Amino acid sequence: MENEQSYQVINESPRSKKLTWLIHHFQREWRLYIMLAPTLIWFILFLYKPMYGLQIAFKDYSVFKGITDSPWIGLEHFYTLFENDQFIRAIKNTVIISGASLLFGFPVPIILALMFNEIINPKFKKTAQTIVYLPHFISAVIIAGIVITAFAPSTGVVNLLLNALGYDSVYFLTKPEWFRTIFVGTGIWQEAGFNSIVFLASIAGVNPSLYESAVVDGASRWQMMWKITLPCIMPTILIMLIIRIGNILEVGFEMIIMLYQPATYATSDVISTFIYRQGLQAAQYDLAAAAGLFNAVIAFVLVIAANTISKKVSRTSLW
Amino acid sequence: MYRLHTAIASAVIANCLLASPAAFASDDNLVSNKPLELDIHFHQKKFVYNNDWLVEKEAAKLTNLSLNNVASMATTNSEEAFNLMIASGNLPDIVGGEMLKENVNRYGPEGAFVPLNDLIAEHAPHIKALFDERPNVYNSIKAHDGNVYYIPYIPDGKYGRAYFIRYDWLNKLGLETPQNVDELYQVLTAFRNNDPNGNGKKDEVPFFTRHWEELIRLVTLWDGRSSGSDKYHDFYVEDGILAHGYVGDNYREGIKNLAKWYEEGLIDAEVFTRGSRSREYLLANDLGGMTHDWFASTSGYNDALADKMPDFLFKAFAPPASPSGKRVEEHRRSQVKNSGWAISYSNENVVETIKYFDFWFSEEGRRLANFGVEGVHYDMIDGKPIFKDTVLNSDTPVTSQMWAIGAQVQRGFQQDYANEEQWSNKFALDGIALYDQGDYLLEPFLGVSMNTEEKGVYDKHWITIRDYMLEMQQAWILGARDIDEDWDTYQDQLKRMGYPKVIKAMQSAYDRAYK
Repeated sequence: MENEQSYQVINESPRSKKLTWLIHHFQREWRLYIMLAPTLIWFILFLYKPMYGLQIAFKDYSVFKGITDSPWIGLEHFYTLFENDQFIRAIKNTVIISGASLLFGFPVPIILALMFNEIINPKFKKTAQTIVYLPHFISAVIIAGIVITAFAPSTGVVNLLLNALGYDSVYFLTKPEWFRTIFVGTGIWQEAGFNSIVFLASIAGVNPSLYESAVVDGASRWQMMWKITLPCIMPTILIMLIIRIGNILEVGFEMIIMLYQPATYATSDVISTFIYRQGLQAAQYDLAAAAGLFNAVIAFVLVIAANTISKKVSRTSLW
Repeated sequence: MYRLHTAIASAVIANCLLASPAAFASDDNLVSNKPLELDIHFHQKKFVYNNDWLVEKEAAKLTNLSLNNVASMATTNSEEAFNLMIASGNLPDIVGGEMLKENVNRYGPEGAFVPLNDLIAEHAPHIKALFDERPNVYNSIKAHDGNVYYIPYIPDGKYGRAYFIRYDWLNKLGLETPQNVDELYQVLTAFRNNDPNGNGKKDEVPFFTRHWEELIRLVTLWDGRSSGSDKYHDFYVEDGILAHGYVGDNYREGIKNLAKWYEEGLIDAEVFTRGSRSREYLLANDLGGMTHDWFASTSGYNDALADKMPDFLFKAFAPPASPSGKRVEEHRRSQVKNSGWAISYSNENVVETIKYFDFWFSEEGRRLANFGVEGVHYDMIDGKPIFKDTVLNSDTPVTSQMWAIGAQVQRGFQQDYANEEQWSNKFALDGIALYDQGDYLLEPFLGVSMNTEEKGVYDKHWITIRDYMLEMQQAWILGARDIDEDWDTYQDQLKRMGYPKVIKAMQSAYDRAYK
């Protein structure tokens, strides 16, 4: 019996050999595939299936007619967008605001993580960490409320401070020139602590023997941080940077909607708020889809570019 | 109990005597001889249609038609709920709730909803009588193809917002109620400088508002316009010609003056960001002097703050006259809302449904929709429904009590102002009487339904133009820019952005509906 089987296997074509291998493989590894399934299903349902709907960017979409039956209109929505000065301005603002958050916001969690790492007293370390994590868990609505109150012209903390120093009150939230600073600053304050966790974890993974030998060689704390910790967590930093660059066009729009005013549109109106006003409030889903698609294509190009550069420069990459 | 018996009895008899429906002419309310249950998608922000509402149960008894809600409470956004439902392609018999008009008038002509014109003429005498009496309401709800696709909620009562001022501050400073815009300027300046709250600090906020758009509405004091409907920044109509307030010369004059007022501290420095609780905060802390807000809720502060500030008197005063001598109150309640209900294409009992809709416009149905159930929530006294004391004296506001039983819900019905009158406080009623005397209201703009071509033009240009208008508006008021310097470029820019095209599209839609 056994001989017969092996005989058959030998005579099988390469294709069915592959099939047998597959069956065998699944029989052995099915547990892993079951573990993989939820993620796969999630990806298909929530990321790949909605891509079918992207076609409404090229259609005159009617909710009742449905995606398939709405008529094609080509690139008209894209023409409409690019003829609109406000859309061009929104792109510009998005790039500036994200660029600023990247430039000023990206290093802060790394610095924080390095600083936490230097704290010796464990109790103090825990307390300090909890305090900087906390803002992350507060909802955007409340953060916006805090910002509005703090920057209020009559009773806001910031203006009271300015008054005490002999300056006049400034109505910050209606001044286009102040919007970016306030928004980026708020973002850093809210997220820096939480984002430092990943770097802290990475620091914890650095081989302790490196530090031990450095101590033997008489290195200072500063030298150890500079020569051991930073180079060791560099791959993590680069991966995080690539991910951040991919999200560069995604500015958290809830926060902007709560903080902006027509008076500050000049600097505060970003692509997502523009989509919100034009597309969702005015029920132009097709136009909103076109703007969203444009957004996604740019983000895609940016990720590829960042990844390629990183691969060339440091041999660290996402794929 | 008696009512229940008659309802059951009539239903039974109805089943026996199918052959002669004429015999039941007296029982107008019955829409079907057999009990009928229809599915309804009804979503109104924080609630959906509830099969257990007392009002719904009573209506089912009277009409023999009961509704079964299928709308989900998963979202509080009625438009989103509507879109989800219509995208599924699975429409229940009746679709209703808020934000209905634009949607039914868009998808009705595409075949999603049943045109109601003929049905109303044949089967809905009460609705027809109302439309005949108020043709503008009828014209305003028509879709661009001339058909009517929904039965609207028709609010009652004319007045919404009014000018309110601290009469106790006026008395304290020995000032008269301002009769024109110059006197108003002097009064507000006095509020600012003469310490009417007597705490020795210059912390008074002469003019404040919960919604910064109400500040813009002050341009009516210089004969400008800010909106023609109860929506902000809407178009307005005058003698059949549509226009937008933010392009007129009087608007320029108004904004120029408001910028001056803002600079002099007569307007709340935080007017754009203080938000919805500003009225409560500024009144309770004895800081606010004047506002433009709703009659009922604003008058309520006289009762709410009576213990804390015995002298507090915040009353409505007549709109101050503009330099040309006109007194105008631009805000008024809408005569017809974009909420209501419609019959979807899948409904197999169209005639019964329209009869059911008509029931709510009959005397009995209207009373049910406004006051709840007789004997439970109101009694008939001298032929008029009067709320019971238990309803009026409860800790829960009357409106909330009514919503809880399914009355005053925005189904297609005609509101009866008599219900609100019974629970409004005396300051509100006095104020309304004052405004009634003066006849300050303007011609309302009830909206238009655009056809595909007009809508294309409107969608492409309008939001962009509106955003530009608001951006400049705030910059002018805050003093970041100067309106006199900007005015010509502003007008050019509006033209370049397509304002004339939008106005043309709106006008052609308006002419089609109302002329």
